[in-house]
Amino acid sequence: MADIRIESVTKYYGSQAALRGVSLDVHNGEFVALLGPSGCGKTTLLRAVAGLDRQTNGRIEIGGRDVSDLPPRSRGLAMVFQNYAVFPHLRVRDNIAFGLLMTGTAKDRIERQVARAAALMHIEALLDRYPVQLSGGQRQRVAVARALAVEPAVLLMDEPLSNLDALLRLEMRTELKAVLASARTTTLYVTHDQTEAMGLADRIAIMHEGRIEQIGSPLEIYRQPKSIFVGGFIGNPPMNFLRLPVSGSVVRLGTLILNPPAGINGPVMLGIRPEDLEVAETGAGFAFRVHVPEPLGPHILLTGDVEGQSMRVAVAPDRVMQPGDVVMLRPNTARLSWMNPDTGLALENS
Amino acid sequence: MRGQTLRPYLLIMPSLAFLLLLFFVPLVQTVALAFSTTTGTGVGNFVQMLDDLDFRDSVRNTFGLVLCVVPLQLLAALGMSMMLRHVRWGRDIILWIWTIPLGISDLAAGLVWLAILTDKGYLNTILFEVGVISGPQSWLTYETPGALFLAILTAEFWRATAIVFVVLVAGVQLIPREYEEAASVFGATAWQRFRRVTLPLLRPSIQTALILRTVLAFEAFAVVLAVGGRNFPVLVSQAYLWQFTNQNYNVAACYAVLVTLVSLAATLVILIALRPRAGESA
Repeated sequence: MADIRIESVTKYYGSQAALRGVSLDVHNGEFVALLGPSGCGKTTLLRAVAGLDRQTNGRIEIGGRDVSDLPPRSRGLAMVFQNYAVFPHLRVRDNIAFGLLMTGTAKDRIERQVARAAALMHIEALLDRYPVQLSGGQRQRVAVARALAVEPAVLLMDEPLSNLDALLRLEMRTELKAVLASARTTTLYVTHDQTEAMGLADRIAIMHEGRIEQIGSPLEIYRQPKSIFVGGFIGNPPMNFLRLPVSGSVVRLGTLILNPPAGINGPVMLGIRPEDLEVAETGAGFAFRVHVPEPLGPHILLTGDVEGQSMRVAVAPDRVMQPGDVVMLRPNTARLSWMNPDTGLALENS
Repeated sequence: MRGQTLRPYLLIMPSLAFLLLLFFVPLVQTVALAFSTTTGTGVGNFVQMLDDLDFRDSVRNTFGLVLCVVPLQLLAALGMSMMLRHVRWGRDIILWIWTIPLGISDLAAGLVWLAILTDKGYLNTILFEVGVISGPQSWLTYETPGALFLAILTAEFWRATAIVFVVLVAGVQLIPREYEEAASVFGATAWQRFRRVTLPLLRPSIQTALILRTVLAFEAFAVVLAVGGRNFPVLVSQAYLWQFTNQNYNVAACYAVLVTLVSLAATLVILIALRPRAGESA
């Protein structure tokens, strides 16, 4: 059990900045996901915490101990790699025991720990096999079991589910969450898959171009994006942004009168999630022209435009839509996000 | 369709014919030669080989050389390929310099070492200049078997370590870095990473390199002849001697058969010793 404290960490490859000053606290027993598009620096940050790459500047503490200059083996952590890195020359049993063996653990304790980790990941029947005899999903389980067996203070995971097929990924996700929640291991988890991050993490750190753009609970991130990037990255389909003028401290959209945060002049960006819109049979609303309707089952996804600006809307599946239809829409005014179009940052409601 | 199924065989045919003609046929001829005596077929030639005054020396020298030089070369090549992995700048130049001996013919290499080690050679000159010795020393005579062995060992080591190294470097490059990273995260020291992860994963390459080098070491000839001459008989130089000096092709063939059998046996031993364990590979 330990917390992770990352202080102003930068990483340069030559003159190329991979991390531009990242600070992050992961509390004891917490599960934090580093989420971002490829090239955002999330894996670089994880590798710096692991000690596999040294940060250029900044400080990393694990459990109150400065580990910035320690080799990986002295940091008291375990890691699950994207390609599993299950040793092909060792049986599953010896793979799981590897960490304990390296630290000179007593034989009977190794046996107990291996049995326990194997039971947690449901691979007791595979202990005497070699990795070539396992499927991808089974190798993944071995990799997680190997990490759990050492009872690490800190667990690092680098896109551990990305090589599994969709169904297996869903299954492993649920299982991982249950196992890690009962172990209460401090976990730092890198992923580019937002569903994974939302489903697993206590908090999500959204990374973008070597910085943490926003950190918060999954719902916070979803409901109150701090920037256009976060709003556009999280959510599937992502948040819609309409560029609208402010006149007399209000914004007019169709017959709607909306109140942006006070003291704004010039245009604003209005962020609306596709599912926070409903068809307005009566009352105020704005006109939306349908270009492409996609019936997806739980809802119909409509792609179209509002006053020439493109927008996606998820509406209840109980109506038939044709390309060219115009419907009146009304947003849930409690769920609107207001952004500064120049800085791309959220405007605070004061 | 018929042409399609035949085509692979047609394409393989020339190399197959080449090997059969230039390898298998001479091999059969050599064996036949070894067993044919003036009175018919028999082991008379082998008896004559065993009675050869230099036979025991040549066997001892050959095995001594192989058993010393091959492990040394393996260790050195392992060390070199491990070190090369940590080099960021100038890797290609180091690789290039280390593999220079690959491009030099056996005989040329032998002559280079002869020039260094002979009693009027470079080493003698340098040692004399710095005052370590007072006059020319002979190391390559039958009176100094230890020094002679060391000289040939050094020459062989210098000449042929590169081939082991090249095979191992290729093997090391095939091992994904993640394995070693995983090992280091899970608490392995540098030595444990080498011993528990890199070395086992390198086993197929080590096997290849060992077979290649051992077989070639049993056939060591040009370097040995250049540096040691008649003072250091080995199996292949004895075959050469019987073939061209003594003009007894039958005994020469016996030596050739012996070298072939020894090489085959060594290959078999290495194959078995370094075979993958059951289930390890699919």
